[in-house]
Amino acid sequence: MDMNQKGLRREANEEAQAAPLVPPVDIWEDNDGITLKADLPGVAKEGLAVGVDGETLTIEGAVSLGESAKLKDVYAEVRVARYRRTFVLGRDLDSEKIAARLKNGVLELRIPKLEAAKPRRIPVRVA
Amino acid sequence: MKAMAELKQGLSEGWRSLAEGWEHIREHAGAAMTRFRRDRRPRTLPAASDENFPLSSPHWGVLAGEVFEASGKVVVRLEAPGMDAKDFDVQVYGNILVLRGEKRSVQEAGDGTWRMLERAYGTFERAFRLPAEVRAEEATASYRRGVLRIELPKAKPDAPRHVKVTVQ
Repeated sequence: MDMNQKGLRREANEEAQAAPLVPPVDIWEDNDGITLKADLPGVAKEGLAVGVDGETLTIEGAVSLGESAKLKDVYAEVRVARYRRTFVLGRDLDSEKIAARLKNGVLELRIPKLEAAKPRRIPVRVA
Repeated sequence: MKAMAELKQGLSEGWRSLAEGWEHIREHAGAAMTRFRRDRRPRTLPAASDENFPLSSPHWGVLAGEVFEASGKVVVRLEAPGMDAKDFDVQVYGNILVLRGEKRSVQEAGDGTWRMLERAYGTFERAFRLPAEVRAEEATASYRRGVLRIELPKAKPDAPRHVKVTVQ
């Protein structure tokens, strides 16, 4: 690879660092709440930030490569240092009870619905 | 979407980052677009025709790969979140490293609906050209934070042509 190409790539890498990547997510909704799974490969617990501001849920992750600087990159497809995505939480969700888990590069959030928003089952008594 | 909606930021900012994003993807990530095959019926995801399943998980996903070179070794990394080490198959054919895997979908408990399905499931295959001859039989592979990392010591040209590498 010649110098010019290398320079161009470095530039692109810097750009990539400026613009965070939007992680793909799966969202499952059931009667009790929603489960959100986001792919954040390379993100450690320390580099992860999940926050709620008003109705806005923000997921942010910083990639920690863990590779020594001695390694010379021969080939790199997507060099992203940061992930970021925001969602608007519906009023029926209880943002104070969000549970988060990070495993194998996947963030799993469970956001329960407010008690008042859950469908109520009325027991039927047999007379 | 009732319970949750994606927040769209300023339209102009959106377009700018979209254009930049595509430019970046076109230049650097063409090869990272990976086809996910679902030859077998997925055990857990319902069919797209199901009434309560208006969405279908994508058949393409981005698995970013990187090849590093250092004195004495070649390091290949592949971003493949949400897998188990046993779901990978790593093989070396001469100077080509082939990574195969299956990303399994997980059944959600109880009655519910998928609101978004952007993560791809199924089997995939990626091949990387190694920049040097390697001793494939001494290669090691590890899986951490959703990133598969294979370290291959560089070696003599008479290295075996086809060796299976176990993922730890």
